[in-house]
Amino acid sequence: MAGTVIGEGLTIEGDITGDEEIVIHGNLRGRLTTRDAVTVGSTAIVGADITGSSLSVAGQVTGDVTASERVDIQAGGKLVGDIKAARFTIADGASFKGNVDMEV
Amino acid sequence: MAENSVIGASTVVSGHVRGQGSLEILGRVEGDVTLTGDVVVGASGRVRGNISASSLTVSGQVQGNLRGSEAVLLESSARVVGDIASPRIGIAPGALVRGHVQTDGELSLAQVPANKRPGTPLRVAPVAQPAPPLPLPLKAPAKAEPRRFDPPRPPVVAAAAANVAAEVEAPRPAKPEPRRPPPPVVPVISKGTKAKKKKGRD
Repeated sequence: MAGTVIGEGLTIEGDITGDEEIVIHGNLRGRLTTRDAVTVGSTAIVGADITGSSLSVAGQVTGDVTASERVDIQAGGKLVGDIKAARFTIADGASFKGNVDMEV
Repeated sequence: MAENSVIGASTVVSGHVRGQGSLEILGRVEGDVTLTGDVVVGASGRVRGNISASSLTVSGQVQGNLRGSEAVLLESSARVVGDIASPRIGIAPGALVRGHVQTDGELSLAQVPANKRPGTPLRVAPVAQPAPPLPLPLKAPAKAEPRRFDPPRPPVVAAAAANVAAEVEAPRPAKPEPRRPPPPVVPVISKGTKAKKKKGRD
């Protein structure tokens, strides 16, 4: 089970810091930092800089992303911001706008 | 979706948490938590901020006010520093609480009597004034009012004597009023001036 889950209907305005997996189905405005994976669900709206081991985006994310492993934008996902990651995939149907740096 | 939200044990949230649904806090939250559903602060959970929820269960540490529209339950491992307000409050033996605890109704119920309280004394006062009708002391109503409460107990003779006394006294201040008022005014001024002078010198 995921360490931290932000359910749909929940809004967090502020910073989230942790060492465990974080799953977001709700709203987040601020910053998100973890050492584990970050999953942004299809219902999620995130306006935050995200730092984690990996990031999977099915919802909307606005902010810069730094991942030590990989970033995946799922179909239907939307990401606006710069990405810094070793691996980066954009699924068919996903939207993305920003710079990519894969020299991690 | 009815998916429960969880703030994990190693997660720190510094900011406000709002919204609908339930939330389990196992990590740290530094900020206010306002939810329409249930909130559980686990044994490892620490919250520094006010928590407002329909039902609130605390097993961890909270530094802030707790407000539950339905209930607030403190388990034996709970440590709370702050005020608690809810229609139902449960504190298990072993729980530590430092603050004001109030088992009042919901916020809406608490606000209604607060609005009525200032109105009631205003309504009582005007009703009590017209109740004692005495036609005689029309000339000096202010001085006769306190005596109205005393005469009702003794028989008619005493009441008549009181009325006579009121009549006798009423004309007295009426005549010497222009002559005697100055003397009582003087000591009042002297007291005030002494106090003001002391304060001014200090």
